[in-house]
Amino acid sequence: MALEYRTANEFVATNRPGKRGWLLMAPLLTWLIAFVVAPTAIMFVYSFCDRDDIGQVVFTFNLENYKRIFVPEYGWIILQSLMAGGAVAGFLLFGLKADGSLTAAIREKTGFGSGSFVGLLAATAGYLVMRERVFALTTGGNFLKILFKSVELAGLSTIICVIIGYPVAYFIGRASDNARNKLLMLIMIPFWTNFLIRTYAWITILKAEGLLNGLLIYAKVISEPLPLLYTPTAVIIGTVYAYLPFMILPIYGSVEKLDNSLVEAAFDLGAGPVRAFSNIIVPLTRPGIVAGILLVFVPAVGMFAINDVLGGKRDPLIGNVIDQQFKQARNMPFGSALGIILLLLFAIAFFLTLRKEEKN
Amino acid sequence: MIRKLCLGVLSLVAGLALTAPAHAADKELNLFAWSEYVPQKVIDGFTKETGIKVNYETYASNEEMLTKLLSGAAQYDLVQPSEYTIEAMIKKDLLAPLDKAKLSNLKNLAPEFTKLGHDPEMKYCVTWMAGTVGIVVNTDKVKDDIKGYKDVFQPKFAGKIIALDDSRELVTWVMNSKGLPINDVNEKALAEVKPTLAEWMKLIKVYDSDSPKTALENGDVTLGIVWSGEAAKLYQKDKKFKYILPAEGAHMFIDSLAIPKGAPHKDNAHAFINYILRPEVSKLISEEFPYTNPNAEARKLLSPEELANPASYPAGTPKLELFHDIGKASAEVDKLVTDLKSGQ
Repeated sequence: MALEYRTANEFVATNRPGKRGWLLMAPLLTWLIAFVVAPTAIMFVYSFCDRDDIGQVVFTFNLENYKRIFVPEYGWIILQSLMAGGAVAGFLLFGLKADGSLTAAIREKTGFGSGSFVGLLAATAGYLVMRERVFALTTGGNFLKILFKSVELAGLSTIICVIIGYPVAYFIGRASDNARNKLLMLIMIPFWTNFLIRTYAWITILKAEGLLNGLLIYAKVISEPLPLLYTPTAVIIGTVYAYLPFMILPIYGSVEKLDNSLVEAAFDLGAGPVRAFSNIIVPLTRPGIVAGILLVFVPAVGMFAINDVLGGKRDPLIGNVIDQQFKQARNMPFGSALGIILLLLFAIAFFLTLRKEEKN
Repeated sequence: MIRKLCLGVLSLVAGLALTAPAHAADKELNLFAWSEYVPQKVIDGFTKETGIKVNYETYASNEEMLTKLLSGAAQYDLVQPSEYTIEAMIKKDLLAPLDKAKLSNLKNLAPEFTKLGHDPEMKYCVTWMAGTVGIVVNTDKVKDDIKGYKDVFQPKFAGKIIALDDSRELVTWVMNSKGLPINDVNEKALAEVKPTLAEWMKLIKVYDSDSPKTALENGDVTLGIVWSGEAAKLYQKDKKFKYILPAEGAHMFIDSLAIPKGAPHKDNAHAFINYILRPEVSKLISEEFPYTNPNAEARKLLSPEELANPASYPAGTPKLELFHDIGKASAEVDKLVTDLKSGQ
């Protein structure tokens, strides 16, 4: 009603939120402050504190928690990997400059600009050197190694989710309206059962005297039960199982919007199925894939419950170490310091991706 | 479709939140106890008789319990710490004294469980159950004669061993095997423990304090070091699971019920303690969780098989020792185990 009395001018100037805007945003802002800003602030303060002998937080200012995470060896390792990355980049750039035709060749063969091609190779080299050095380190409390393991496990799970999830999402997105709703329902049904119960159910399947081993022995594929449960494989299976819907749903969203005439046009213009898929379908569903990767990868890095249940608490991931600090070890300050580091790493990764996306 | 589902879920949540009944606050008891330790039957029986609703929350280590209690996030009326944790909690003045006038069944406890080092006059706690930490072996799979810790942690058993997920226990096993006094935990002792513990931890397949019997039962591991009650349950199901108290010495634990200082329902907590001290109730606990029952009257009600279970009531005179509070050193123990797990 009130709208009738507004002038056109007022509507133009609504780029900034007015009273009404703030009012609409209030629930979200309250939520953000209460559950994101405040806890992060507490965590930040705790990370500089100490614990007393029964585990209460003592408010002092010291850097011990951060010193425990960053053992001095890391400095040298980081330097080495930067040097390795730099060497690769320098070598490639020099080579590209010397032979201009290579730049064009790279673009044609890989679709990458020579800049991102060099960047990618240099980053890979740096990563490999760093990984090698970190894993060889034997000092106690090698948290960088755990971080590497967590990122790799999450990365592998994400890749498997894309490989399994993409065809499923594509199939659902292209199905008839009626079938589509039913299929979506099937994706959602597992959510009706608690996540932990579903994870525990995998124990029944994977254990030595479990369903899978029983089936394989019955089929005479194996004679001794395979050690499946309490292995990294079990953790990856559990992670893929838990996060797969978060990959399927956003990709489905993109596929559903995909304009079929564009795909047909590609075929008409002589593209084979592979070319049509890689040059038309994938780029057009890219937002869904990116969203799916974020939705799977980010929670999977910090995940700890699946590793506890299916991994036997043996090989800690970064989430397990933090969880342990808050419960078993009663060392909230150290847990907070680890949390802050993880948060910073995510923030850096996020801004780097954001800048990259903006450039694109 | 999806939007409808989301709306449905949202309205369901909102509905639940709105209709959550305002409980009669004085008819409640917030029990915070070990997992796999308090039978549902006992809780139901108590509620039926007194009308007091029991909110039962579980933990898997004394440390976890302390963390949650100290965080003040929840108001617990009854906790179930082990002897060394009681010691620390009394020192830090975290427990409320018991009102013995409300505990008429206290007389049922066997005398050896009424004058314990951590609370000699039973001012703060009443023994729930006692037990030991020992070796369980699946004798179908392991033919060796296992006598102590060193027999368990052999390279040939790599990937076949289960252990409690408890830093102090892990360190104690190494200390016992080296003949170090288990309550003298200091920097020097830990430095001596470290290399052996690192070797042992590489051999362990699963850590589980909640229900270590599960992995043994499922056949994923064949031997390990667990709570005696878990071993007793395995033995009840299948005699192939043998329980052995390590020859080098073992930890005996005594878990008790105690009331935290700020508990909102102290009367209900007393009522619950008195209820579980009844012989017939205590017998129910033993039936489901066959640890060592401290209730002399209840023991008379147990069957000969139950009393003959070597895990519940060990024969002979094994070398057993209680834990004492080690104060600040517990942080060092946690740090050692965290770092070893991370560096693996």
